[in-house]
Amino acid sequence: MVILNKIHIVAITSLFIGLIINILPVAEFLVSIKPPILLLILIYWALAFPNYINLTYAFITGLIMDVLLIVPLGYYTFCFTITIYLTLIYYPQIRLQSNLNKMLSLLVILAPYFLMSTVINSALGINYEIIDVCISILLSVIIWPGLFSVLRFIRQKYIS
Amino acid sequence: MKNNLHFRQSHIVSIKLILFLVISISSLIADKDLQFSNYIRSNSSYLIKPIYAIAEAPSKILNTISIYIDTKENLINKNKDLEKKVFLQSGIIQKIPAIKSENSRLKKLLNSSDSMLTSKILIAELIKVNLSPFSNKVVIDKGEKSNLYSGQTVIDSEGLLGQISEVNKDFSIVTLISDPGHALLAVNARTGKRIMISGTGDNRNLKAKYISLNEDVIEGDILITSGLDNIFPEGYLIGTISKINKKINDNFLKVNVTPSSSLTSNREVMVLW
Repeated sequence: MVILNKIHIVAITSLFIGLIINILPVAEFLVSIKPPILLLILIYWALAFPNYINLTYAFITGLIMDVLLIVPLGYYTFCFTITIYLTLIYYPQIRLQSNLNKMLSLLVILAPYFLMSTVINSALGINYEIIDVCISILLSVIIWPGLFSVLRFIRQKYIS
Repeated sequence: MKNNLHFRQSHIVSIKLILFLVISISSLIADKDLQFSNYIRSNSSYLIKPIYAIAEAPSKILNTISIYIDTKENLINKNKDLEKKVFLQSGIIQKIPAIKSENSRLKKLLNSSDSMLTSKILIAELIKVNLSPFSNKVVIDKGEKSNLYSGQTVIDSEGLLGQISEVNKDFSIVTLISDPGHALLAVNARTGKRIMISGTGDNRNLKAKYISLNEDVIEGDILITSGLDNIFPEGYLIGTISKINKKINDNFLKVNVTPSSSLTSNREVMVLW
């Protein structure tokens, strides 16, 4: 029970930090290509504790993002839910993979997220550059090993 | 045991997935104009403001540090430049009362109504948070407490910025003129013809719509607000026509407009009454 509480406290704290990083003001050229840090953190926790950090987490985090980033309700909830669902399906395979394969798996998991966000953008009449979306996916994959090690260090230190 | 748990969970996961996706899609359709999320934001503004404040803190701290680090010589030079600017502008302002009275006299002669003048200006500061790259909205630090209301005009020192689309207790949300869902009626300062301008999603580019092929527009024409939309007061600078693309087969000209105000990089804005 104590460990369960610890998992939720550490996950929620790291997600909150991810949320803040997500809305930190950045240079203009970075705005449309920055990787979705919050989603990456959520993916890590879903991989680590799939029984506890699941779709409910994705839904609530997405809802908070919708309200904070002033987009129509359902935008991030939809994208996050689908991504975490994919993570929950493939987590046994992904866990066993090497770091390089994990990066490639992340590419597969994140592709529907970006596809969905571009489809919703088009439906809402929002302009976007497809090249920015590609760069964003690539950056997410590049920063994944670093983020993974940091979060694993946090997990090993605070949840044991 | 673990496998059983996994299998048992997979049913719940599927049910949850369907439920959450149905909720997301239906709320996406229902909340296209941000009505529900406005309601949520206004009721939980006391939670949202601190999160914005935390996200803004690093840039504020950096700004403060850069002010302290700035050399004395730089500050003196900056001050001199500002003094010069104020001196020049106060020289120009001296002429305004005379021009105003002449304008109203001429309008009386023409039997036309006098233009509406703004009575009050409030300076608000932008809350520097990184919203969705596609939303073209900014957050300012004044809200209901400063008696702001939805639809108010927001300008900066260089031109029109947008209008307030949502007022919360401590902060308000401004929809920029570059938002794809935003349109306003402008006037070409050279010819006096009305032009409809809408946003493109790109903060450095607006487009002028429904201009017929034989209309008198040239690159460099200055566009100002017309006052006919009953939202933006008359006479504020919007931007200049930067590119005209004429194709014989099209019904209308394709005209790009560069906004005069720097829509993303400003720090302080003015709200008009």
